[in-house]
Amino acid sequence: MGDLFGTWLAALLTLAAFSFLYKDNPIFRFAESLFAGVSLGYYVGIVFDQTLKPNLFEPLKTNFGLNWDLMLAGVLGALLYVRYVPRIGWVARYGLAVYVAYYIGVEFTQKIQGEVMPQLARTIRPLNQWSLDSVGAFFTSPSLVSLLAIVGTYSVLVYFFFSKEHGRIMRPISRLGIWFLMISFGAAFGFTVMGRVALLIGRLNFLILDWIYPTLGI
Amino acid sequence: MAGLLDKLLKIDRRWIFFFVALSVTVPILVPLGLPISTTSATQMAFDFVEALEPGDVVLLSFDYGPSSAPENDPMAEGFMRHCLSRDLRVVVCVLYPLGALGLANNVVARIGHEFPNKVYGTDYVNLGYKDGDRAVMRRMGESIADAFPTDVNGRPIADLPIFHGIRSIRQIKVVFTAATGLIGEWWITLVHAQFGTPVIIGPTAVSAPKYYAYISSGQLAGMLGGMKGAAEYEQLIAKKYPDLGNYYKRTRLFTAVKGMDAQTAIHFVIIVFILIGNVAFFASRLRQGRS
Amino acid sequence: MSGLDLSFGKVALFICFGLLPIAGFLLGLRAPSIRRQGPIILAFLAGIIPILSIYIPKRFLAHPEMGMSPRLDQYLIIVAGFALPLGIVNVIQNSSRKAIRREQGWPFAVVLLVGLFLMGSFGIYGAWTGEGIGFRADGTSTPFKWMEENCFKPLQSTIFALLAFFMASAAFRAFRARNAEATILLVAGVLVMMGRVPLLEFLATPFPPLMPAAAAGSQWLGKLTEWIMDVPNSAAQAGIIIGAALGAAAMAIRVILGIERSYLGLGKGE
Repeated sequence: MGDLFGTWLAALLTLAAFSFLYKDNPIFRFAESLFAGVSLGYYVGIVFDQTLKPNLFEPLKTNFGLNWDLMLAGVLGALLYVRYVPRIGWVARYGLAVYVAYYIGVEFTQKIQGEVMPQLARTIRPLNQWSLDSVGAFFTSPSLVSLLAIVGTYSVLVYFFFSKEHGRIMRPISRLGIWFLMISFGAAFGFTVMGRVALLIGRLNFLILDWIYPTLGI
Repeated sequence: MAGLLDKLLKIDRRWIFFFVALSVTVPILVPLGLPISTTSATQMAFDFVEALEPGDVVLLSFDYGPSSAPENDPMAEGFMRHCLSRDLRVVVCVLYPLGALGLANNVVARIGHEFPNKVYGTDYVNLGYKDGDRAVMRRMGESIADAFPTDVNGRPIADLPIFHGIRSIRQIKVVFTAATGLIGEWWITLVHAQFGTPVIIGPTAVSAPKYYAYISSGQLAGMLGGMKGAAEYEQLIAKKYPDLGNYYKRTRLFTAVKGMDAQTAIHFVIIVFILIGNVAFFASRLRQGRS
Repeated sequence: MSGLDLSFGKVALFICFGLLPIAGFLLGLRAPSIRRQGPIILAFLAGIIPILSIYIPKRFLAHPEMGMSPRLDQYLIIVAGFALPLGIVNVIQNSSRKAIRREQGWPFAVVLLVGLFLMGSFGIYGAWTGEGIGFRADGTSTPFKWMEENCFKPLQSTIFALLAFFMASAAFRAFRARNAEATILLVAGVLVMMGRVPLLEFLATPFPPLMPAAAAGSQWLGKLTEWIMDVPNSAAQAGIIIGAALGAAAMAIRVILGIERSYLGLGKGE
């Protein structure tokens, strides 16, 4: 009985959200507001149960001597909420500074070590490996692929160089970079269509196979 | 003809919505069973898992929410079924805040049910969700227990046999991240770069194009791009493991392979829309040029 | 203080992130300029420790048990937990005001608040009682899990599924081959859409004799799509990744050195 009620509730909320396709209406706005509220409440639930309880409260309770310094983390986190207290809102900057700057620091090495260096290394490949057996083999020759990678990567980087106006040499290279970007964005559009449609397929599958069919006894 | 094209350009968008809904609904009601080809990225991922030894520990990270579940759920389920069929041990964790925990709980419960001979805590475990994404990844690089002191139900991980001999992510053989957004990329650029753990990614189709650069640079051990990638993977494991093949044939539940019929239909419809739009555009340009 | 683990990492972090902010707070009550400088010093420390731990693998910094950096990672898991629901206070304030003053759309503000408090209460209840927020031991759903399955999931999935319709409408109305670049984009997009799915087999379904030709065509299109993704797309994406990463790294240096302060609500020179 509970599952049946839950399925019907899920189906009706799905239809309420889909009603926006006809036009904006109070039923859709109800669903939208409920979604916003439930999402925020969801955050509260997972943070308490999955992070604060096992990583802060339980360690302090079970072994305070070993974990006393975690209180500091709790205080820094709680300080974030002080911004809502009018007269001492500036104190929240301490918590915010730690939170933002830590991730910025992590990102620094992550970007250089994980993105820039490997992608640059990718453009340093031998250019003496060609296959001339057929048209298809030529277009998949390791060296053609490497050459296109070098040309594509650096022409895109030239396009993104905005610190100086593009002159006679940089302008055509930048144009080539735009063409590579257009191919990439076109491909991304194709993939985006797949991605967005997949979500619709999932919902319609639920409505038809999990709601309508069982209701009709199919 | 010109009048018709003009009328088409000004068509109420709700007719477009109707055709979109129809093109997705009909293949669900009448499955076509269209063939699915395998791309090299998915084959790489499959071959990598096939090369692992029974008993090896792998990490499956749920880094997506209900907004991309039709794409990512089949990937996560397929990977977990593949690993358990190969007697690999699966550690599940969740780093995406909005809805991933529920999806992980559902998948682990469902797959656990399908493999009754596998024991929770020994063959697979669900560590649950943790805030902090990159802080968690960095901590796991030294100690998984410090990042996840308990599993999703509050059981200390020191009590779980699956972690005997596994201290950090460096001992994990591969991380599979079913991801929407940046968290998947962080597994590659942080965990793989700093700790050397191989990563297979299952991104949504929207973010998949970016990861081809990571495949080319050797930073990825494989990729399942969107629902198509998930369908390819399902096909590969169904072919290799007869039990899984029977499951995928019999199940009434949603699978990526089933979703590909509707994908194909909608692609056709959207290509037709684009062509009509451009034909009308060029026709009106020609008319303007003449007048 | 007996019984407390006073390893170097914990004490150093306590000094940096405990005593320094306390000193900053006390001084800030008297000297407003300290209210701006104190957090910037803290930001420097919080940003530099993770970086240095990679380049200086010394015990005091990078040791798994006693080092500053691993312990700081653990702190940030907790701080991130506090940060995630930060916007809720703002939402409660705005929605409450809307409901109390009966502003336009106030019933929907009430719905939002009811959803928030109900879901949040279920979550806190699950954490407090130890029941959790997933499945119980007997396989039944906790109240949080039930609401997640039957309210949260369908709503989130459907709101995003609406995008498919709007994307199709936008593709029809706006996707035009106006110039060379737009044409390249259009052709690449259409080729990828054709190559990623068995489109030719779909079209040949009513005409079985054409199926072998359709299959061969599909295979060729699939290979072309893979080539587009592996070669030009990959090259362009590498350029974007490098450019964006260098920009982010430069911004990181500015934040850590205190040049960029807008995230603290401070302007340049403040």
